[in-house]
Formats: sequence, structure tokens, C-alpha cells
Amino acid sequence: MKIFFTLSLTSFAFSSALWIIWSFFVVQIEGNPSWLGSLFYLPHAARVLCVVYFGWKAIPALFLAELWGPHFSLLDIESLINVIPGLLSVLSVPLALQTLHWFGFPLGNTTESPLNKRNYKHIALITMISAIYNSLLVNLVLTKFSISSSEIGIDQIVRFFVGDMLGTAIVLVILVMSLRPILNSQKIN
Amino acid sequence: MKKFFNDIADALDMLAGIENALNINDFSPNELKVFYTIISNEAKSGSQCNITDVVESSGMSRSTVYKTLRKLSVEGIIALDQSQDDKREYLITFS
Repeated sequence: MKIFFTLSLTSFAFSSALWIIWSFFVVQIEGNPSWLGSLFYLPHAARVLCVVYFGWKAIPALFLAELWGPHFSLLDIESLINVIPGLLSVLSVPLALQTLHWFGFPLGNTTESPLNKRNYKHIALITMISAIYNSLLVNLVLTKFSISSSEIGIDQIVRFFVGDMLGTAIVLVILVMSLRPILNSQKIN
Repeated sequence: MKKFFNDIADALDMLAGIENALNINDFSPNELKVFYTIISNEAKSGSQCNITDVVESSGMSRSTVYKTLRKLSVEGIIALDQSQDDKREYLITFS
């Protein structure tokens, strides 16, 4: 129970931090054009990293952050609109992991593991597959339930995919840059 | 809790892989160990460190320490000056 609480808190804090940073930049570039923010969608990094490293236990906290993130309120009626798209976005990562498992690449943390969570290239593959699922499923739901105010075309699906990939890459590079002292001390020990 | 820290360590390993791929790691592990040894020795003793001090504190071989110091010297990070008291010894100073 203690570990569930710890990793839930970590996942929620990490995801929320990315939502806040992303929202700050979206406000800065407001309206020029309106979709520019979705081209570097930082919160996808939290979904990928937390689900890959913490497993399914991170899903409830990530889902809560998905509801809280867009409007910074859980009680907002608009948060309820995001229930299904938010859930699908979070589930895109376990779905990607399950797809790879079906193809004979179960997740592990050794060099012998077909899918090694210590290898950034494998994380990139998981990010790519989850971004495909996320862009397809979320846009399908938005179209099906007429949630989106704008018309959804192939350009939006591609934008979601590129945004998730680019957003995750940006977060990983920022993490590398900011955690360099820890990474270097690990090399010494 | 051990599993949580192991998960974090796995994530840090992955980030270290990105750091290597981007080639933004300035020091090799040996260089880093020697560099930290010099700093900690100087902080403890409050005086200039020599090669023997680094060999003794780091536990690395004299030849490895010497090669590493030469590399750091070529990169302009440190300077090796001959000791006035003992001509066989070199003192390390930060450039």
C-alpha cells in the first residue's frame, strides 16, 4: 500500500508538473496558431515514463492528472468531458506494451530482455506505438461523440502523433540536462 | 520501497543512455573519479593536491591516474606543476 501511495504521488506530481509547464507555453503562444501547443505535448512523457517504470499502479494517478491538468480543477464540468479521452490517452501506453508483448517483446530491465526499460531506444519505440494508439483512439472518440468543436481530419491525427513524440523527446532531454549530476555520480559508484 | 528505488534507478540508466548518445557527458568515469578525488582532497587538506594523493585516495593505479591527469591537462581543466620540494612529484592546480 505504501509503495502504491508513493508511486501514485510521484506519477501525479510529475504529470501535473508537465501539464503546468505545457499550459504555460500554450498560453504564451495563444492563438498563433491554436493547435501549435499540440505539436509538443509534454504530458505524454509522464504517461510513458510512469507506466513503463511503475507499471499499471501508476494508471489511477495519471488518469487523475489527465482530468485535473487541462483546467487545473477536478470539479470543473469540462473535466468530465475529458473522462474518456483522458482514460484512452493513459491506456495508450499499457496498450502499446501489451502489443509489443503479443509480438514477443515482453518488458524487462536486463540486456537479455527483448524490451529493455533501461534502453532509451526501446522507450522511443514504446512512445511511438503509444502515440499512434493515442492519436487514433482519442480522435476516434472525439469524432464519435462530437466532443471537439473543430472538424477532425488526418492532419489532427498526425499532429497528435508528432506532438506526443516531440513532447516526450523534449521532456527526456530536459531530464537528462537537469539530472546530469545524479547521472554522473552513478557512473562513479 | 526497494522496488520503487529500483524503478527510479532503471529510469536513470535510460537517461544516462540518452546522455551518452547526445555526447553531452564531458567526463569519462575515470576522469570524473580523478576530478572528484582532487576536489575532495583539496577540500579536506586545504592545500594543493599531488599525484600520489590522488592515487592513494582514489584506489586507482598510478598509470591510470597519470594518464587521466594528462588528458585533463591537455583539455585545459587542470595544470600539472613540478613540486619545488620534491622534483619527482607534480602538484595539481585547476586552470
